[in-house]
Amino acid sequence: MPLPPTIPFIGITWADALFLLLGGVVLGSATLVVLGRDIIRNGLMLILTLGALAGIYVVLGASIVAGAQVLVYIGAISVLILFAIMLTQSKSASAQLNFQTQALPAALASALIGILLAVALGATQWGSTVYNDTPDPAGTATAAAVLFGPWLLAFEVASVLILAAVIGGIYLAMKPAESEEIEA
Amino acid sequence: MSGAALVWARLTPAGRILAVLLPVLAVGGALTTALLIVFGGAIAATIGANLPIVRFLAASVITFLITVPTAFLLIYMEMKIIALMNLRIGPDRIGPAGAVMSIVHGLKVLMKEDYTPPSVDVPVFTLAPVVVYLASFMTVMVIPFAPELTSVGLELGLLYFFAIGGLGVVGLMMAGWSSFNKYSLLGGIRAAAQAISYEIPLTLSVVGIVILTGTLSLPKIVAAQSGSLLDWFIFRQPLAAIIFFIAITAEANRTPFDNTEADQEIVAGFATEYSGMRFGFFFFAEYVNVFIVSALFSAVFLGGSNAPLVLPFHPEIIINLGSLGIMLPILAGIAPVIGTLVCAAPIWFASSRIKTWQALVAGFLIFGGLSTAAIGFWAWAMIPALGNLIWFLIKTFSLVFVFVWMRGTLPRARIDQLMGFAWKWLLPASLLNIFATALAVLLTTSGGN
Repeated sequence: MPLPPTIPFIGITWADALFLLLGGVVLGSATLVVLGRDIIRNGLMLILTLGALAGIYVVLGASIVAGAQVLVYIGAISVLILFAIMLTQSKSASAQLNFQTQALPAALASALIGILLAVALGATQWGSTVYNDTPDPAGTATAAAVLFGPWLLAFEVASVLILAAVIGGIYLAMKPAESEEIEA
Repeated sequence: MSGAALVWARLTPAGRILAVLLPVLAVGGALTTALLIVFGGAIAATIGANLPIVRFLAASVITFLITVPTAFLLIYMEMKIIALMNLRIGPDRIGPAGAVMSIVHGLKVLMKEDYTPPSVDVPVFTLAPVVVYLASFMTVMVIPFAPELTSVGLELGLLYFFAIGGLGVVGLMMAGWSSFNKYSLLGGIRAAAQAISYEIPLTLSVVGIVILTGTLSLPKIVAAQSGSLLDWFIFRQPLAAIIFFIAITAEANRTPFDNTEADQEIVAGFATEYSGMRFGFFFFAEYVNVFIVSALFSAVFLGGSNAPLVLPFHPEIIINLGSLGIMLPILAGIAPVIGTLVCAAPIWFASSRIKTWQALVAGFLIFGGLSTAAIGFWAWAMIPALGNLIWFLIKTFSLVFVFVWMRGTLPRARIDQLMGFAWKWLLPASLLNIFATALAVLLTTSGGN
């Protein structure tokens, strides 16, 4: 007999169950990223969050987005974050928050965002927007046709933004001329 | 003392294990058989109805299991080949020419104390080898051993490969940080810097091939190289092949880019505080990685499972064993004896100084060799997957040999030279390769429109 379309006794489909599981992992690990005291574990939890998010993309049928997510956000950006933490922190340092003086602004900002999110989530008809059946993974051709067709302008704007960010990063990292001469 | 206790006391350790194991196996086997007889139909029906899931599970398990003998083989190759290059003998005590030595290494690692130093970050320290090994094993799943032998023929295989392959460095950083040791931390930071720098030229170097083939699927890239030797991408994309080879050397942390565990500088890098099987996981993952990157190179650039020469004819040997009827078991029993005698006769007649038993042993060996060759030829002719797999493995292990050769020959690069080389030379070269390929494709296809 084939597997039943829904999980026995609970009555939700397997894809929904997987989505719920991955969503739970995303929420739980994201909470730990913010609440944890050990900064390197927070970084690792961020990796877990992004990985579970990639899993959600796969469940929703966007495997190319998932691949890019793992390649870029986990393989490069999170590793760079960990790298920066390892270069600057010491494991024997205190785990206390020494310079935390922004509790009130943070609470205000998060309350504002929370209200915004609640309004936006409540006002949207999710049943009509959610893509119901998983599309057949047709490879890169469909994604490329959409990305370089109707969304070409957005794509180019994003690449210009990233170029600006790269130039800005190089400018910030550039040493002043006199210190360069001293070092040489 | 009763009789049973007396017998038990006289048994050797091996005998005691057998005395327990045999009844357990007998009862277990009987129970399994009974269950299969009662529920066999239902089990077969369930498997048949859920074939994709069962196939995926079986492929995962088989992929996981083949990583272990592959790592053993690579460790033995490395010990023996480097020994020969150093004019040493290398392992020679256990098994023929020391061939079982690496299995003994594996058992030794299993039996060593698995020690967790007191100051480490225990969960991160424990999970790090798991992450490293998982990343290696998950990339094996998309390797196209043959068109018929790909465990998961993902449409986005190449993207998956680079994405999951990049996860291994997270494990190395976890190990380096959680060990609470300056050498480990240096090793982890070096691993991260190296992996990020070399991942960019590695990924960009295959973009030219993606432009040419129009797919990210590894089996399709292999299929695009079918035909003659000149269809291999190493001849159509030589610059990409060079960049790719250098980058995978760095990704697999092999000499001359093994700065992450440079033993003269930082003890053993990220693995300094590890012992026992957890160290073994790092060790295993490293050799599995060498196999994986060699397999990827041979799939993407060396034609994968395609033969370098296509025979103008394909031999078809159709043997209908069933038509022999009752003669089949008789022939199967008699043929080896007759074959051995026939092969032994010329040796026996050749010289009177050869003793009869020597001639018989020689005849048996000759007959065994001949029949193995005949069965092998028949299998190669009748099962295309076997021929494809053999070509793939020949290419992959030739590359593994090159990696071992490099380790036996080249000195280690300095870490700043390594980083500078990746950013200043490999990255521009891979961009140049992309633009040149795209331009060539545009020029050759625009005429048709």
